[in-house]
Amino acid sequence: MNRLWAQFLPQIEERVATLETAAADLIDGTITVAQCEQASSAAHNLAGVLGTFGLAEGTTLAREAEAFYCIGPPIESTVNARMVEVAIRLRRLIATRK
Amino acid sequence: MPRRILIIDDEDDIREVAAMSLETVAGWEVMVANSGAQGLLRAASYKPDAILLDVMMPGMDGPTTFRELRKNPATAKIPVLFLTAKVQATDRRRFADLGIEAVLVKPFDPMTLSIQIAGALGWA
Repeated sequence: MNRLWAQFLPQIEERVATLETAAADLIDGTITVAQCEQASSAAHNLAGVLGTFGLAEGTTLAREAEAFYCIGPPIESTVNARMVEVAIRLRRLIATRK
Repeated sequence: MPRRILIIDDEDDIREVAAMSLETVAGWEVMVANSGAQGLLRAASYKPDAILLDVMMPGMDGPTTFRELRKNPATAKIPVLFLTAKVQATDRRRFADLGIEAVLVKPFDPMTLSIQIAGALGWA
């Protein structure tokens, strides 16, 4: 499992980066529908894979992001800030698995 | 004779972890496909004992792939289990109506995936 984790870590990090970019653009108010779709897809994948590698909290966070971005570009700033937090926590979480 | 499983999933990390799990934990033979279309071809030629099929895939999704498998006499009787990260009660009913043997949820435990499959299919 550690070998596979190392093998797939770059693409896992890439998906987290997609969520980080989406969250930053949410805050800026520049996020697009296409970006929301990309973020939702990245979150969907993370939800499936992180728990399989023993990061159950990552699955929970990713599911939250997936549900959020599924709806499309939101406007409420407190919810947007939550997506920043989710992205940061996912980044920290995968760093702990290394 | 080891069981023969075909895994159809567009996510290569999930596909590889599932394959490794079934090969090393259960000693099964595993063939993989990265899309519904590739899965249809591999199912017909490999003739697995069961198919583990991702629900959400670009292009041909899991339910469409399943219906195509059922249309082909060479693959029509192969048991199919859906693998999905998102499943609600309504989805389960819809999948059961299609004729799916079971729905397994991502994330899965690599140490028990084969037990879940065997249990769902009534394999001793």
